[in-house]
Amino acid sequence: MMIVASTAAPGPTEDLDDLYENAPCGYLSIQPDGRIVKVNRTLANWMGVPAQQLLGKRLRDLLNTAGRIFYETHFAPLLRMQGYFNEVALDLIKADGTKLPVLANSMERRAEDGTLLFTRVTLFQAVERRRYERELVDARAAADAAGAAMQTELDTERQDAELREQFIAVLGHDLRNPLASINAAARLLRKEPQNDKAIELLDLMQGSVSRMSGLIDNVLDFARGRLGGGMGLNRAVQPLEPVLTQVVEELRSIYLGRKINAMFKLETNIDCDVGRIGQLTSNLIANALAYGAPKEPIRVSASISDGLLEIWIANGGDPIPAEAQESLFLPFFRGERKSGREGLGLGLHIASEIARAHGGELVVRSDPMETRFTFTMPVASKTADI
Amino acid sequence: MSVIERNHVQTRGGGSRAMVFAHGFGCDQNMWRFVAPAFEGDFRTVLFDHVGAGRSDLAAYDAVKYGSLSGYADDLVEIGRELGLRGGVFVGHSVSAMIGVLASLKAPEMFESLVLVGPSPRYIDDGEYIGGFTATEIDELLASLDDNHMGWSATMAPVIMSNPDRPELSDELTNSFCRTDPEIAKAFAKVTFTSDNRADLPKVTARTLVLQCRDDIIASEEVGRYVNEQLPNSQLVVLEASGHCPNLSAPQQVVAAIRDFV
Repeated sequence: MMIVASTAAPGPTEDLDDLYENAPCGYLSIQPDGRIVKVNRTLANWMGVPAQQLLGKRLRDLLNTAGRIFYETHFAPLLRMQGYFNEVALDLIKADGTKLPVLANSMERRAEDGTLLFTRVTLFQAVERRRYERELVDARAAADAAGAAMQTELDTERQDAELREQFIAVLGHDLRNPLASINAAARLLRKEPQNDKAIELLDLMQGSVSRMSGLIDNVLDFARGRLGGGMGLNRAVQPLEPVLTQVVEELRSIYLGRKINAMFKLETNIDCDVGRIGQLTSNLIANALAYGAPKEPIRVSASISDGLLEIWIANGGDPIPAEAQESLFLPFFRGERKSGREGLGLGLHIASEIARAHGGELVVRSDPMETRFTFTMPVASKTADI
Repeated sequence: MSVIERNHVQTRGGGSRAMVFAHGFGCDQNMWRFVAPAFEGDFRTVLFDHVGAGRSDLAAYDAVKYGSLSGYADDLVEIGRELGLRGGVFVGHSVSAMIGVLASLKAPEMFESLVLVGPSPRYIDDGEYIGGFTATEIDELLASLDDNHMGWSATMAPVIMSNPDRPELSDELTNSFCRTDPEIAKAFAKVTFTSDNRADLPKVTARTLVLQCRDDIIASEEVGRYVNEQLPNSQLVVLEASGHCPNLSAPQQVVAAIRDFV
């Protein structure tokens, strides 16, 4: 037979009076008229006065002005309304005038008939907690300030960028006028009798004028695109081939030493901006002239099949490295140039924008055999039937 | 959003006259829960929350408009017009006492009587005038809201996250009637404790009852007497209640005094 014995080891029993007086928190009890009737030693020690001196005072007498106002306007109503409040942050003012941050819980003790007997308040020191909370508040204020500063910086940057692009647009526009004068002068000179040397120089001049004009077009288009104007299209159902032929002829006349083979098979009119498609083709051929092997011909093709217009430009020479192919169509991208002719790096970007504006696409394929840029765009079947 | 929704206006009772209750700084229309029902038999009672408090539309809070008590008074007049109030009774606690005074000047036909509970036209001492607080103390209060606002926000902020559609969060709703957005609380404290409406008191034409508590540190008896003297047609009743909220601590006395007056 087993006897079950109590397992509690003999020891001192808890002294409830002592627990009250020396609890690890402050206690106070308030009469219905608001006067403090009982307070424990822990709280008296925190306040730095004998407990006796706290009796008869009101809780608000222990608080700073802010706490007093908030106690009256917020926490006293709360207590009356729900019979308790929890986790209220208060600052006690100690005998020496310093603040003691505390967290207070409070509960009303009522008699069976509902009469208020006491309001009991328990206080916990919250020095560290309050410091931590203030650090959080400060950190948040600092983050807000940093965010605001960043926003200001961003706004300034944005304004600067806008100004820069407006400047480019204005510049591009103003550059056209002197260029037009040079071109007109060269044409007039060509009508006079000239020796071979002079004609050669005139060829060079007009070639440069044409190239410069193309560069300005690109700059203007780029700036306009960035300014929110977008790529303006003048679409109409019209023949495309004459424009492409003209583009090729122009470039042939400038790059006399280079061979450009064109194969155009466009039997129908096409709904597009022919000027823009001409610009796209011109940009791609100019690109091939700048980067392709000088000895190898440049091949240009334009055709329609299966409701798609396809224009491709191919050149020989070293392939475009794979990593460069990814950024090829970004503005101001420039590959390693062999010819020494400096461009802006806008030609391919503008070409791809033109393709996009037409609902088409521009892709590149490059290997040791050839580098080929292919533009395709859907062509409405109705126009293809014409 | 209608005025009714914006200020969470609640009408009850069936009398021909209306009695409008306005809460003060700190809580919301629940402040009147022990007082307003006593008048539902004889009056059409109207309760509302100031914008920024209780269940008002926080999105309607406009720092410029509510940067003066006049903005709150405009809301009160709007509510009155919306409900077609004429010759009603206004009962305003704490800062709403002055909001009611301003509204009665803007729309004298709306309220025949004003009941001002714990009114103060100015909280800061000024020469002979004893408001109860020095300018420094009010500055400290406002500053403490700035740098100690975590303490208040910890107890007051969560209401904006509380979700009445999810009853399992009902615990979150305790303390809620005294909670408000900390930034709005700060602004409301500023407009409350720095306003000065002494010059408006002599202009009031409505008959007025001033209900004053003993031992009110927010609005002292001295201030209550001053308000009573300055109002042309006013009587003062000192309640045997202490503190600033007799509508909660001594509702029967408040009800009796209002009943005698109206």
